[in-house]
Amino acid sequence: MGVRLAGVRKSYRRREVLAGIDLELAPGRPVVVVGGNGTGKSTLLRVAAGASAATAGSVTGRPGAVGFVPGRVPASTRMPARAYLWHMAAVHGTRHDPTALLDDLGFSGDLDAPVARLSTGNVQKILLAQALGCGAGLVVLDEPWSGLDAAAAAALDRLLVEAASTTALLVADHTGRAAALPGAAVFRIVAGVLAEAVDLPGAVHTVVELRCPGDPAELLRVLPGVRESWLGAGSLTVRVPVERGDGLLAAALARGCSVLAVRRDGARP
Amino acid sequence: MTVLARTLAVARYLTADVARSQRFLLPLLAHGAVLAVLFGGDPGPPPGPWAASALAVYPAAAWLAVVVANTEAAEQRAVTIASAGGPSRVTAATLLVALVGGLVLAALSVLVPALVSRYPYPPPVLLAGALAHVACAATGTALGLLVARPVVARIGWSFCIGVAVVMVTAVQPWLPPVGSAVEALVSGGLPLVEAALGVGLVVAAGLVSWAREIRTT
Repeated sequence: MGVRLAGVRKSYRRREVLAGIDLELAPGRPVVVVGGNGTGKSTLLRVAAGASAATAGSVTGRPGAVGFVPGRVPASTRMPARAYLWHMAAVHGTRHDPTALLDDLGFSGDLDAPVARLSTGNVQKILLAQALGCGAGLVVLDEPWSGLDAAAAAALDRLLVEAASTTALLVADHTGRAAALPGAAVFRIVAGVLAEAVDLPGAVHTVVELRCPGDPAELLRVLPGVRESWLGAGSLTVRVPVERGDGLLAAALARGCSVLAVRRDGARP
Repeated sequence: MTVLARTLAVARYLTADVARSQRFLLPLLAHGAVLAVLFGGDPGPPPGPWAASALAVYPAAAWLAVVVANTEAAEQRAVTIASAGGPSRVTAATLLVALVGGLVLAALSVLVPALVSRYPYPPPVLLAGALAHVACAATGTALGLLVARPVVARIGWSFCIGVAVVMVTAVQPWLPPVGSAVEALVSGGLPLVEAALGVGLVVAAGLVSWAREIRTT
């Protein structure tokens, strides 16, 4: 058993976002997709969840109900949270009561208030409850930690460890938390296809702050080994595995950048 | 069995969402106003006044179908489709809720004059009136599904295309199902074929909607 994506492609108008994704999702092996904005993570997740059709390729073995948390919170859910969860459980075709999960996540809002009137964090908890609490055979989560406070984030860590052992799990995440799930396979999407993100949890990195002329996006394409990047006011910060640090500095200097700071970075939280 | 139960679960959810949005009130009240004007004074004996109410139920049902199809935000739609295990149940439920809404409007149009006016409404006349209204309401539902999400994403276009189609098709007495149903009603016929055709159009519109549902996102 398991969900198989084979040669999945997705184009919007003429732009190809996914260019042949092969992926297997099964219990015990949570798949985590990391990487920058606009690389196609959310598109891949929507296709895997069945909320978007692939332009080519196939998704097989998808169970009859998928727990899905989209990247953007639904804008206007007028229904009270309690009624929303009740309806969602019925749509999943289950007798599970997703409200039980809300206590674990530390839900602090009014269950009888419209979902749209809850705080961002509480809306996220409602969505997580419907995705994780309905016994779905596949759970797809797009940035599930966004909007959660520290306690709720830790609770979600525990819930996902539990869920990953019994259900297929696909998570897009940039916090590094999902990569710490036991047995997690971590990928990045590069030019529309999956690439192994080789960093193991606990890998040591060098963080380099640069001031560079020209377009940072173009620069990032030629700098070697960049795992993560942040754009600041007049500066570009990149994170590379320690063994790639010298190569990165040489390449950056060759492109006319000045080095503002170099520091060592331990395991990501 | 569970297939049907889960489709009905989506339909219940959509109904609750539409009810809370209150957007269904506008087509309902607009149609109520039309009925009040048509049947308020001395409308005359049936089936004459029904010609106007059958024509009025056509755009009202279309409007209601647009409300039902557009009720969910796009992101929530993705969650609903994933939870329901694919777009088929969601499309079927949308169709069902929109069609039932249209049929409620049709029932009101048939029953209000029968209950409030002083003219006799023998069963054969009631049947002809009901069939004509079902034909017009179902065609309106089909039109509404075709000009709403996921086929037409923007409400401005939905309105323009919907109004244009209603204006062109409602005034052709030879054109099935709306024109010919009204024509059959006033000339004493039984618009059975038109009613069946209307329901067929709803199913066809549902198929178009289903084919578009997850391809546009």
